[in-house]
Amino acid sequence: MGDTLASQSIIEVDKLSKRFGDKAAVDEVSFEMRRGEVFGFLGPNGAGKTTTIKMLTTLLPPTSGSARVVGRDLRTEGKKIRERIGVVQQQDSFDQGLNVETSMDIYGLIWDVPKRDRRRRIDEVVKRFGMKDFLKMPTIDLSSGQRRRLQVAREFLHDMDLLFLDEPTVGLDPLVRRGILDYFKEKVKEGLSIFFTTHILEEAEYLCDRIAVINQGKIVQVDTPENLKRRFGRAKAVEFKLLEGTSRELFERLSSSDEVSKLIQDEVGGTYRVTTSRPEIVIPEIYKLAEKYGLSVSSIYIAETTLEDAFINLVTVDDVRRPDSS
Amino acid sequence: MNVYVRLVYRNLRANLDKLSLFFELFFPLFFVFVQGSGLGGIIPPLDIGNGRVVPYQLFLAAGAVTLTVINAGTNAGTQLWFDRKNGMFEQILMGPFTRAQYILSIILATLIIGIGGSLLVFLLAFPVLGTGLLITFQGQLLIALALFLGTLFFGGLAIALSVALKSSETFQVVSTFVFFVFLFTSTVFYPAGNAPPVLQAVSYLNPLTYATDIFRAGIFDAFTSLIPLEVGILALEGAAVFTTAVVAFRRIRV
Repeated sequence: MGDTLASQSIIEVDKLSKRFGDKAAVDEVSFEMRRGEVFGFLGPNGAGKTTTIKMLTTLLPPTSGSARVVGRDLRTEGKKIRERIGVVQQQDSFDQGLNVETSMDIYGLIWDVPKRDRRRRIDEVVKRFGMKDFLKMPTIDLSSGQRRRLQVAREFLHDMDLLFLDEPTVGLDPLVRRGILDYFKEKVKEGLSIFFTTHILEEAEYLCDRIAVINQGKIVQVDTPENLKRRFGRAKAVEFKLLEGTSRELFERLSSSDEVSKLIQDEVGGTYRVTTSRPEIVIPEIYKLAEKYGLSVSSIYIAETTLEDAFINLVTVDDVRRPDSS
Repeated sequence: MNVYVRLVYRNLRANLDKLSLFFELFFPLFFVFVQGSGLGGIIPPLDIGNGRVVPYQLFLAAGAVTLTVINAGTNAGTQLWFDRKNGMFEQILMGPFTRAQYILSIILATLIIGIGGSLLVFLLAFPVLGTGLLITFQGQLLIALALFLGTLFFGGLAIALSVALKSSETFQVVSTFVFFVFLFTSTVFYPAGNAPPVLQAVSYLNPLTYATDIFRAGIFDAFTSLIPLEVGILALEGAAVFTTAVVAFRRIRV
């Protein structure tokens, strides 16, 4: 990695591994995250995302490999790294004996944030995260969504260069979630870098500049969301409806077409969903079959490829999990 | 602000259950005022060394004060369990602290609770204890040593237990049982010299025996030639358990 690139990197990982007994939870992963970007880290359950975060935040020592985080060596400069990062863990974390406001104040205190700054920052996050209604509530009595907001909000009380977010929006309603994602975007504009994991791929697409996909402990691909969709979201969906409702003959003929990977019919709404890599061939075929059986197509459109399509293609490794592979 | 001050303040604010703390203090006072006065009429005064003979209620009151260090010790384990259960353990270790700073902050908070709680019990038990107090400068040192080393031992023991046990519920049950064994095989309730030989032998291994004897010697000016040896044994036991706790803590899997 060149000097210029290295100086722009906030995380540089080289063949980092973590083994638990015989099992490699993370297997020689290498990637680089640039300063000021939101770097998505996606993968199915058990892929190694949280283990990677635990290593990069110095909580778990790696079995092998090396990494630099905020310009510091992971193995020898752990405390220096921790001084410049923030972490929102996947699991709940809260001080059970305090109310929300005191809990935030003490969290800022242990980070050595001066009292006046703590007050100002608490006021800001309370407003931005919509926490006013439960500010005086004991943390033990909070709902999971409220507790999650507290957990995310308090990380913004202290200064940091890099924020690790491990599924930070679990349990949040869509409105709050969008507000929080927008807050992350603002902070990124101010210079913060974010390492982000989520299972909600719309979030990743909305927030991330680049995405690494990890599966079974190995990095499968690193690219921008657009490129991932373009490169790996090849199968498109064509959805159509018939004026007459349903047609068994058309369903059977279309299913047997070489260009159709999968055909599903929604029994209630009557919508047909065709998965194909060649919509330009399938659409005329639909019209041709409809005409043949005396039917009329009332609506038809091509569903856009989503990041989810690309993700599923990337992490699906066997035929059982890949229904379209045939 | 110093990192230990910040972490200790957090431990005291976040992990102390005020109701539990109230009962921890109430518990020793119950011995002083109820058991002590009840049994004081049928148990003759006891010789505690250096020619000092004290009524049973006074004897028990001194023991009850040192009993507070056991309660404080349990608090160390509880603090760690609260943090582990609520995800704050990992959160703090991913903050600008070292593991050593975190564990020391728990010990320091425990010492504050132990020594502070003992002194509070001491003050509340003053109507009983005040009748026989004879505290010299040397006595003050002994009082401080007894409370410090006692809290260190039981704090370390509670941390080691909380690391070893898989759930907070198991920790509560096991630590209550273990601390009851320490309590009833010590000299808190009776002098070891009058106990059966087996119980005497167990009592002489028990750090609470030494903490209690040293504390009694401190407040009643009952210093004997055995006291320095008892201080040495208690210090060794405290250091050994504390080291075990630190080693166990370093192996906690996150």
